[in-house]
Amino acid sequence: MMQIYRIAHREYMENVKTKGFWIGILLFPILIWMMIELPKFLEERGIPTRHLVIVDRSEGLGEIARQRITLLNRQKTLGELQQHIAKATEEQRKEKMEEVDIDPDQLLDQLEQGLDQLGNPDLEIQPFKPDQLVKIGDLLPEQMLLNDLQWNNIKKLLLSQLPDDAPEFIEPPLRFKEVTLPEGVSLTDGDQQIEDALRPYLRSEMMLKSNDEEVELFGLLIIPENALEPKARVRFWSSNLADTDLIDTVLDSLSEEARQQEYDRRGIESKAVAEVASMRVRSIKFNPNKSEGDEKVGIRDKIRQYAPIGFVYMLWVAIFTIAQMLLNNTIEEKSNRLIEVLLSSVTTTELLLGKVFGVAAVGVTMQCAWIGSLIGILRYKSGPSATWIADLIAAVITPELLGGFVFYFIAGYFFYAFLFAGIGSICNTIKEAQNFMSPLMLLMMVPLGTMTFIPNDPNGAIATTLSWIPPWTPFVMMNRMAASPPASEIYGTAIMLLISVVVVFWLSAKIFRIGVLRSGQPPKLLELFRWLRGSHS
Amino acid sequence: MNTSPIELNHVTKTYGDFKAVDDISFTVPEGTVCGFLGPNGAGKTTSIRMMLDILRPSSGTISILGARRALDVRSRIGYLPEEKGLYKKMTATAMIAYFATLKGVAGGEAKRIAGELLEKYGLGSFQNHKCEALSKGMGQKVQVLASIAHDPDLVILDEPFSGLDPVNQGVMEEVIQDIRSRGKTILFSTHVMSHAERICERVVIMAAGRLAFDGTVDEAKSLLPRRVRVKGKGAGAALEQLKDVTHSSPSSDGREGVAEFQLREGADPQQLLKCAFEQNISLEIFEVVNPNLHEVFVHLVGEEAREAAYR
Ligand SMILES: Nc1ncnc2c1ncn2[C@@H]1O[C@H](COP(=O)(O)OP(=O)(O)OP(=O)(O)O)[C@@H](O)[C@H]1O
Ligand SMILES: [Mg+2]
Repeated sequence: MMQIYRIAHREYMENVKTKGFWIGILLFPILIWMMIELPKFLEERGIPTRHLVIVDRSEGLGEIARQRITLLNRQKTLGELQQHIAKATEEQRKEKMEEVDIDPDQLLDQLEQGLDQLGNPDLEIQPFKPDQLVKIGDLLPEQMLLNDLQWNNIKKLLLSQLPDDAPEFIEPPLRFKEVTLPEGVSLTDGDQQIEDALRPYLRSEMMLKSNDEEVELFGLLIIPENALEPKARVRFWSSNLADTDLIDTVLDSLSEEARQQEYDRRGIESKAVAEVASMRVRSIKFNPNKSEGDEKVGIRDKIRQYAPIGFVYMLWVAIFTIAQMLLNNTIEEKSNRLIEVLLSSVTTTELLLGKVFGVAAVGVTMQCAWIGSLIGILRYKSGPSATWIADLIAAVITPELLGGFVFYFIAGYFFYAFLFAGIGSICNTIKEAQNFMSPLMLLMMVPLGTMTFIPNDPNGAIATTLSWIPPWTPFVMMNRMAASPPASEIYGTAIMLLISVVVVFWLSAKIFRIGVLRSGQPPKLLELFRWLRGSHS
Repeated sequence: MNTSPIELNHVTKTYGDFKAVDDISFTVPEGTVCGFLGPNGAGKTTSIRMMLDILRPSSGTISILGARRALDVRSRIGYLPEEKGLYKKMTATAMIAYFATLKGVAGGEAKRIAGELLEKYGLGSFQNHKCEALSKGMGQKVQVLASIAHDPDLVILDEPFSGLDPVNQGVMEEVIQDIRSRGKTILFSTHVMSHAERICERVVIMAAGRLAFDGTVDEAKSLLPRRVRVKGKGAGAALEQLKDVTHSSPSSDGREGVAEFQLREGADPQQLLKCAFEQNISLEIFEVVNPNLHEVFVHLVGEEAREAAYR
């Protein structure tokens, strides 16, 4: 026992000291962090104001498009303002944990009052609660945003409600900004002429002037005279057609206008249409496996159904991480013949168990660090009020589910760990080991492939069959756990898996014993069988 | 308790049809240093591995420190395998301490012993060096120290001298003498007869899997007749006639005019001196040459060694 501990201890300490271990531990949170931050970062820094030229040949459609672009700009600013408010009031909101029920109508009334009072310094503004301040941005109707005066006053009002120590709000650059045609080109020129003239600007070969600044021209939009007719085409020029935000927005606004006009022409009340269009048929989902009164399928159940996939991936990654370590270590000991000293000090069983436990501990450390950092980052990012983490944890930590995961995780882990240690013992170099690893990896890919459809039919024939194939049992059963498979299958596969682990352990120990003392070519399959029959030791 | 630390009884090890070790029996008495000699491929390493229960004999029995299996008494055995290696990333101290703890020494104690041993055998300044930074010879010394850090009663070393420079070979001899002076038993294999001759009381010689000799060094040397080297006018012709002289030839060390006589077993070299005196032959040189272990070795296994080399 002591020997197993000592071997495991050394194995653990040596692996923990390697660079690879720390890179593994740190890389994960860094990657997650980058996955969360990078898009935001790119959005903040990466997308500068896009400058565009609008040539409007129609009557008033240009204005509709312009309005929609303004709305887009202001919505972006509003979003940032909301974030700014959320950050500035974080402390206050943390103190008051109780959920404030927000009545949208009342809140908007209060806002309008506030706006009135803003112009009149004698009147005291009724203060907003921090939660209301954050929420209000979601409620603002479009007309309010489009009204220049109201828009500016709303910003002023909201910012005035922030605590005194709040940092200044810096308005983000506009998303899109219209610029006038460069000198020498005029709106009276033909479309063709304008397009030709602007081509070098669109190619960034020339710069446009806007407010004494040199700017790059992002796009040219030409709205034809009868743009709303089916055959008409809005012409959009840009050297970055991948950024479809602008043209989508414009087309949306024009389509809306087209529909509106069509409704009017046919004498249909457009408001009624909108109401009708918003009708939805909804469903409630029931699960017959739940006790009565509890059958409603909620968000927790969704998480519950998909949490297993997370666990399957975790097991998979865990096995991958340890495989490399086990192979490396066994091959090192083998190639420098330390194995002989070890075998004169400990039994094969002790050595094998010690190694596997030690490496397992490394794997567990790594995984704990990963899960810890993941939860940490998510908590930090989503703020203290986020309940979904609690949901997730509550969904996973039900005794039967967690028990199942832990069992299958450990059993699966050792099944593969013993296998890898056995393989390590018959190879002299990592390269030789790779030959044995490839088929094993293929074997391990199978459960990954089945993961997507098993949740759809967790107790179907395929899932059931796969459950009984030992290398796949842990993956498939973990995946099925949430769907409450029959107890006979749970216990049956569990017992079979345990027996397989013991068998793999026994085989590995036997191969290990002979393999580690061998040098030269790895044995042929036939030779392995002879070893196992014990005619060679 | 009168069992010897090492006892082999009709031990055989076969690989397929090939007998790597063929029916060997010998014992090593307690407190002795025993050299384990034999040409390449004689079966030394195989035998040693069987003693340590790393390999199982095909037939025959082995008793180590009174136990049937070496693992039962593992904390009392120290072992240096033939091919040496270390954990590259561990420090010398940690490495020695680790193997000591595997043999049951407590962690802190093991560290202390490791430091002491390194200090004592000239590696004090390498205590905290990673093993990959040690030269081959230094690494080998570290490994030897790792095998004896738990103060075992029986130490088995497979070719401890190979790869060491003359100074470190001396250190290695010192290590062995130190262990022996504490009353422990040592068996080591080597190809260098001079080491065996200097530090062994007993030798076991194997050839082609079979036992060629087992006994004290003196007994081994007495296997070969003694020789006398003589220089003097007419000495060769006169002494050749003596009945105890079995063979005569020019001296094997190549000196001019020196004759060498091989004597019958048990014969007294003084006879030759007496004879020369009686016949009034004046001798410039008269020396008795005792056979050394090297010659005994070549005599015993020369044929097999060459054969093995061609096999
Ligand atoms: N695993 C094995 N399979 C087949 N033959 C083996 C194996 N191990 C050793 N042998 C053979 O057994 C014989 C004895 O080998 P062993 O290593 O014991 O010799 P040795 O006396 O230690 O030689 P050396 O002085 O070169 O170290 C050799 O002929 C060798 O080829
Ligand atoms: Mg050998």
